[in-house]
Amino acid sequence: MELLFQTVIDGLLIGGLIIVVGIGFSLCFGVMHIVDFAVGEWVMLGAYLGYLLVAYFGYDPMVFLPLIFLIFCGLGWLIYPLIYRAVSGKRHNPVIMGLVFTFGLSIIAKGGALSIWGHHIKSITTWLSGKSIMLGIGTVPALRFSGFVFGILVTIIFMIFLYKTRAGIIIRATAQDRDTASLMGVDVRRTGAFVYSLYAGITGMSGVLIGSLFSIHAAMGAKYTTLAFFVVVLAGMGYVPGVIIAALVLGLLQSFVGVYVGGRYTLAALFIVMYGVLLITPKGILRRGI
Amino acid sequence: MTFQTEGARINHTPVIRRFTLPGLLLLFFLSLLLLPLFLSPLWIRIATEVLMWAGLAQSWNVIGGYTGYLSFGHGAFFGVGAYATGILMVHLGWPFGIGLFFSGVLSAFLALLIGYPTLRLRGAYFAIATWAFGELLRQVATILDITGGAYGLQLPAFLNLPFFYYIMLGVTGLTYLTIYLLLERARFGYRLLAIREHEEAAEMVGVDTVSIKIQAFALSAFFPGIIGGINAYWVTYIHPDSVLRADITDFMVVMAFLGGIGSLWGPFLGAVVVQLVQRVLWLVWGEGTFYLVIIGAAICSVVLFIPNGLIGVLEGQIFKPKEAIKELKKKVKW
Repeated sequence: MELLFQTVIDGLLIGGLIIVVGIGFSLCFGVMHIVDFAVGEWVMLGAYLGYLLVAYFGYDPMVFLPLIFLIFCGLGWLIYPLIYRAVSGKRHNPVIMGLVFTFGLSIIAKGGALSIWGHHIKSITTWLSGKSIMLGIGTVPALRFSGFVFGILVTIIFMIFLYKTRAGIIIRATAQDRDTASLMGVDVRRTGAFVYSLYAGITGMSGVLIGSLFSIHAAMGAKYTTLAFFVVVLAGMGYVPGVIIAALVLGLLQSFVGVYVGGRYTLAALFIVMYGVLLITPKGILRRGI
Repeated sequence: MTFQTEGARINHTPVIRRFTLPGLLLLFFLSLLLLPLFLSPLWIRIATEVLMWAGLAQSWNVIGGYTGYLSFGHGAFFGVGAYATGILMVHLGWPFGIGLFFSGVLSAFLALLIGYPTLRLRGAYFAIATWAFGELLRQVATILDITGGAYGLQLPAFLNLPFFYYIMLGVTGLTYLTIYLLLERARFGYRLLAIREHEEAAEMVGVDTVSIKIQAFALSAFFPGIIGGINAYWVTYIHPDSVLRADITDFMVVMAFLGGIGSLWGPFLGAVVVQLVQRVLWLVWGEGTFYLVIIGAAICSVVLFIPNGLIGVLEGQIFKPKEAIKELKKKVKW
């Protein structure tokens, strides 16, 4: 029974962090219809940047979160025009070009990281590492808990931004119907740039927490790309609120399979679930995707 | 109903039409047949590799180029073929040829399984599912006992370089011939083209899009299965990090894109260029990971500058690097 509670807690904690990776990715697809294959690479680069900042300045990585957010926003802002160029113009099939372009970006990021930092595994230590909070029913590692809190906080701020502010209305309008939004005076291109840089910032920031929870290496991106994909397929592509439930379900699934079946089978289990979802309800478990 | 087998040309350009003249093609094929007589073993090896990649890139082109659905896990079919051939030869003692055929059939069957739920949806779902499938297979091969886990599988050694050259030439030639006949010369190719250009319209005029897409995907998975099997017997030792590594897909994509997607000779050209460049880099720098950056940059620049690939450039699409960059600066507003 204790193991069961522990498994549930672990799953929810991981799920909270996965929300952050999935939420920007889902919005990015909803607004620009671009599947960003570099999502895991943003996580990886964020983790490395956090590692470098900690190694250089020596403060706790949590201090650098706002700075990392800004840096990755800037990077996203710089890259977006190229993506826009790839999906517009005289192209046979803009969606394909966008997909391939981000696929190329992810290969560049992975290869660059491998060339610079090699295959060595690194980790970030924070003041929370190794500490844990005792609850009546199980222990909660403090770092995982802070990751969960971070995830929930980012999600709440993001949701308030998306549903309560003018910019959020513009973004949702663009996601719903690009053409009509642009007829209403929305600059679709700038909205896209804004969303992409926001997404890059959030994902890069989550990379720092992921990096301090798990190990950092250049090829780690693939795992988080897979997770982000599973989350959006479960949630329904482009349906942002669904990401919260999907990420928690995924976290629980991962944790249960890890404990009761074996850690090496998690990817297989996730794949079977995704296959089932695509087969039965391709618009996500809430049937709200596009 | 009569079969109309004429005119399904996807490229209408004069240069390529001249090149597909049967005579020239025959000459080209004959010279490939005689090639091993004049080459040193190293170059036979390189030529075999080029042929292998030409076949792989062309198979990717069937689903990625002609149909417009990107498979980012196509390397998995190569790995499936390698492992299937390996397991059949080692554990069951089947002869190489039968194992090879079986590998292709198994790959195509797996493609049916993956394609059935995902090809009914938008292309993004398909790209994601195939990518995840590739990741999954690498993990599965590491877990299972029959594949030898992370240690891999040792096949019976057969060290005969010309044999592998000729069998690779045969299979790659068969790939190109099949794709020429089915996609450039038959209705099937028209249907795929219609799906790529406007799927809803294709459905309106009566193309059973889902079934056609699944067939195309199975076809594009069949040949990598066979080529993977040949590769396994050739290198004699396979493990998850060799035949199922992620950059096999990366190479297929970059070769098809660099050469020009949706064309018969594009992937061949791309394979020759990329493989030779990679060999040169390998000789200059030795083992490294920087080639990944170059592949990625090549994919991105092709998308940005020459979306129709090198074949598009050859066919008279003007490509002036300076002007392209100037135009990019003008169009891309930071």
